[in-house]
Amino acid sequence: MMVWWLDGLLALGLLWLAWQAVTAPRLFRSVVMFIVFGLFMSLCWARLAAPDLALAEAAIGAGLTGALLLSAYRALLVRHGAGREEAPGIAPALARAIAVGSGVLFAVLAGILLTLPGAEAPAGREALARMEELALDNPVTGVLLVFRAYDTLMEMGVLLLALLGARVVAEPLRAAGPGPWRRPGLSEPVLVAPLVALLVPLIVLVAGYLLWAGTTAPGGAFQAGAVLAALGVLLRLTGRLRPTLTNSLYERAVLVLGLAVFTAAGALGLGTEGYMLSYPAGWSYPLILVVETTLMLSIALTLALLFSGSNGFRGAR
Amino acid sequence: MALVLAWGLILMGAGFFLAGTIGLLRFPNVFSRLHALTKADNVGLGLLALGLAILAGSPWVALKLALIWLLALLAGTVSCHLIARYALREQGGREQARP
Repeated sequence: MMVWWLDGLLALGLLWLAWQAVTAPRLFRSVVMFIVFGLFMSLCWARLAAPDLALAEAAIGAGLTGALLLSAYRALLVRHGAGREEAPGIAPALARAIAVGSGVLFAVLAGILLTLPGAEAPAGREALARMEELALDNPVTGVLLVFRAYDTLMEMGVLLLALLGARVVAEPLRAAGPGPWRRPGLSEPVLVAPLVALLVPLIVLVAGYLLWAGTTAPGGAFQAGAVLAALGVLLRLTGRLRPTLTNSLYERAVLVLGLAVFTAAGALGLGTEGYMLSYPAGWSYPLILVVETTLMLSIALTLALLFSGSNGFRGAR
Repeated sequence: MALVLAWGLILMGAGFFLAGTIGLLRFPNVFSRLHALTKADNVGLGLLALGLAILAGSPWVALKLALIWLLALLAGTVSCHLIARYALREQGGREQARP
C-alpha cells in the first residue's frame, strides 16, 4: 500500500516536472525543473529495479546535463545581459501544444504496444539464459559489451561526433567558470580548497569502484566515466583546470582511445572467432576490462570537454 | 523498541525537511532561506540516516550512511558559503565578503 503511494507520487511528480520544464515562463526555472526531473527519473529507475540506469541517469541526466545547461544559461546572461535571457525561441503556448501533442502520441503508441502479442523469446530472457557462457555476473555489462557490443561501439562513435560537432559550431566559451575570484585582486573563498582536496581522491575512488564493480554489480564504464567527468567539471569550475583553444596529442589520444581499443578488440575476435566483436575464447574477461577502462577514460574526457566548451585543458599554474 | 526509535528519528528528520522547505518558500531574503535550508539538509538528513542505520541493523550499512551524511554536510556547507558570499557581494557588501 505504502509502496503504491510512493510510486504514484513519483509518477505524478515526473509528469508535473516535465510539464513545468517545458512550459516555465523563465528559462532558469526550466533548467532547474529539468535537473529535478532527472533526479526523479533516477528514483523511478531505482524503483523499477534498474540500478545501472538509475546511476547513469543521476550522473549524466541530472548531474552533467544540469551543469551543462546551467553554464549555457550563464553564457546567455553574459551575452545578453541580466533580465534579457528570455529567448526560448518558441512561444510558451506553442511549447504547451507540442508537449501535449507528444504526450498524446506517446500514449497512443504505448497503447498499441500493449495490444501486441508478446514475442516468443524476448531478447532480455535470451541474454539472461546465456549469461553462463560469459565470464561476467552483471547482465547489463554482458548486454552492453557482449550481446549488443555493436550498439555500444556506435554510441562511442556518436559521443566523439557530438564533441567534434560541438567544437565546430561553438565559440570559445568563457562563461563557464572559473569563478570571478580568479580575477586578479580577488582571492578564492576559504572553503573551496578543502572541498577540492577532500573530493578529488574520493571521486577517483568511486569511479574506480564503479568500473571494477561493473562486471559483477551495477556500474560500468558509462557511470564511472560520468563520475570522472564530474571531477573535470569540479576542477574546471574552481579554476584548477583552465580551458585552452588547442588540445595536446595526449588529449586527442585519450578522446579516441576507447573507440580505438574497442574496435581493435572487436577486430581481434574477427581474426580468431570468425566474426566481429566476439572475444577470443578465454580472453573475454581481461579484454572486457581493458575495453571498459579505456571507454571510461574517453567518456570522462569527452563529457568534461563538452562541459568546458574548450578544445583542451591546462593546469592553473 | 529499536523500531519505535528508528521511526521516531525518521519522522523527526522528515519534520526538519518540511520546516526547511517551508522556510525556503516563505522566508524573505537569501540569508534566512539559506539558514532554513541548511538546517534541513544537515540535521534532517542526519536524523534520517540515523533512523535508517538503526533499521538496517548492520554496522557496515550504518558506516556507509554516515559517510553519505558527511558528504552531504560538506557539500551543503560549501555551497551555502558560496551562495551567501555571492549574495553579500551582489548587495554591495564587497568588503565583508572577502575571506
